[in-house]
Amino acid sequence: MTFWQILGIALLTILIAFITGLFYMGIRRKVIARVQNRYGPPVYQNFLDVMKLWSKDSNIHHGIMQHLAPLWMISMSIATLLFVPIAYKSHFWTNFTFNGDLILLLYLMVFGSLGFALGVGQTGNPNSAIGVSRGLTQLVGYELPWVIALIAVMIQYKTTSLTDLVAFQQQHHTWIAFQQPFAFLAAFLLIPAMFHYSPYDVIVAPAELASGPISEFGGKYLGLMMSSSSIFMFAKLALFVDIFLGGAQNWLWMIIKTLTLYMWPVLWSAISPRYRTEQSIWSVWKWPLILSVLGLIIASV
Amino acid sequence: MNYVLNDRESSKIIEFIKNFARKNSLWIAAYGTGCGAIEIPPTMTSRYDAERLSIRGAATPRQADVLLITGYLAVKTLKRVIRTYEQMQDPKYVIGFGSCTINGGMYWDSYNTIKQLGLYIPVDVYINGCMPRPEAVIAGFAKLQEMIGKGEANGWKHYKENLEWYRQNQQRLIKNWKMPDFNW
Amino acid sequence: MADLNFENKLIIDIQEHFRENIIAAKVKRQKRVEIRTNRESIESVLLYLKEKQGFIHLAHISCVDWMEENRFELVFILWQPQEKINVLVKIDVNRLNPVAPNIDYIWSQANTYEREIREMFGIEFEGLVGRRELILEDWDDMPPMRRDFDTLQYVMDNYKFRSGREDAQDVRETIAKRTGEEIPEIAKKYSR
Repeated sequence: MTFWQILGIALLTILIAFITGLFYMGIRRKVIARVQNRYGPPVYQNFLDVMKLWSKDSNIHHGIMQHLAPLWMISMSIATLLFVPIAYKSHFWTNFTFNGDLILLLYLMVFGSLGFALGVGQTGNPNSAIGVSRGLTQLVGYELPWVIALIAVMIQYKTTSLTDLVAFQQQHHTWIAFQQPFAFLAAFLLIPAMFHYSPYDVIVAPAELASGPISEFGGKYLGLMMSSSSIFMFAKLALFVDIFLGGAQNWLWMIIKTLTLYMWPVLWSAISPRYRTEQSIWSVWKWPLILSVLGLIIASV
Repeated sequence: MNYVLNDRESSKIIEFIKNFARKNSLWIAAYGTGCGAIEIPPTMTSRYDAERLSIRGAATPRQADVLLITGYLAVKTLKRVIRTYEQMQDPKYVIGFGSCTINGGMYWDSYNTIKQLGLYIPVDVYINGCMPRPEAVIAGFAKLQEMIGKGEANGWKHYKENLEWYRQNQQRLIKNWKMPDFNW
Repeated sequence: MADLNFENKLIIDIQEHFRENIIAAKVKRQKRVEIRTNRESIESVLLYLKEKQGFIHLAHISCVDWMEENRFELVFILWQPQEKINVLVKIDVNRLNPVAPNIDYIWSQANTYEREIREMFGIEFEGLVGRRELILEDWDDMPPMRRDFDTLQYVMDNYKFRSGREDAQDVRETIAKRTGEEIPEIAKKYSR
């Protein structure tokens, strides 16, 4: 493949992930509205929101790092997405996957939040500072069982390549979710925490923290952040599907599987109130951690 | 296929798209000033569900497009309202809510509430009533959306152009003016 | 006739204890006693009621402007939870030199009420600590709750009305004019 082909495919992947992610968020708003017995906004509402935010005329200036924060976030989202293989045995849709990509992804997924936290520090808003400290605490909380669960998978299959994992599942017609149920369950329970949806939304908490870290970001920056979170959301879902749910043959299967998986954090968030910071830590350090350690033990013996 | 849009036409189309997005996504700054703030929860929740009309709350003024002045405004609150308004990003809209913002309402002879909101910040739409019911609030928002679609809701431009005049009115009431400049 | 044992006993008790310092004391109605005292003994009366009679709760400090008699009247409203009785302890403060004793060492919540009265009526409390601004901000006129403060004049000087406000009629008159009905004599008294 030539350079231009690779670039075109990468851009197309980003575009599809962006559109799909925004639709997923629209579906989420609709589902939550229906749960609350409301009619709800149209499914395409998030497109209008992003367009409106991009068409804002002015922006504030706090310093260089503040301007870099949304860029940092969206570049890390795109990087995460491009290392996740979308379709099995496809020249095009595996993008930049290589042998050690699972380990790289573990780093990349954290970098976005860390860089953003650095930028938020410059805005000087006390709500943002509280939000960042809560966010980093929660990050420590859910990263531990998540990494252990992934290591269990890596040890059991003796590979750090996502493509190999997908190939294994596709060839043996099975899912790692059945082969390594403990790691799967641990990761499955962690999904609401990784998405920062309720009950793990103490970071943004609009009623008490005035949306926390993003409280000083408006206009185009908020639009960038919404785009970034939609891409990142799709990347995380695709990663989960690749590792545990057998990957996908093509885009259609990927969308079906990710959308089904996405309903779990959405429905869970629609009915649950907000955890406090220490509750959210203990809730991910209790069962998910136990399950992932069990998975690790089973994988290594 | 030799037809190329000239500058005016293309900017018209871009403006149309922008206005379409702006009118279909109104985020309200969550800031209740008077008794009228009690009408916002029924407007937003299941009974009247303003979210189906693309109206939802935003947590901070930085993210918001619409500032709702819900009811009477004490001089002390006016200071905070001006700050909140100036923190919002362009384009921004103001809705004056209830009779108090129009001509003082039942507080017409109170020494500490303002009588005309339009003298201090530019108001795009007034909703009368004391208090306006959620239906009236939604009607006011529909009017604002119509105005944005036509490109008539230009209160924020008016404020920038006539900043001197607004400042004069504001400083007549707020004697101890300790606020940053507009371009902060 | 309801049993007024506690109320009567309280009045006798307090009159014996403070003698000529109690200017007047009476039972207004069931569960409500009114005591008028002077400025010198107000602190000891309040302390006595709190420590010996069980009026542990200060509900409110109110102020009345008797402009014609050239005095302010401070009303301390106390509450006794066992017998569920209110006591109103009243003192007079000279209007020309309004200084009153500070009682926030007896009930610390009195501090807020005293600051409010200082701001709204201009009564100074001896040794009262706290910011001078509580509710009003940058106020440089006469304290606004005094009766000689002309609210309407202040409003006319400082605010602009939208045109159309001047001919605004009383709602009742407007409706009556439109429908052609008579306003009853008793209602005319309350028209603006």
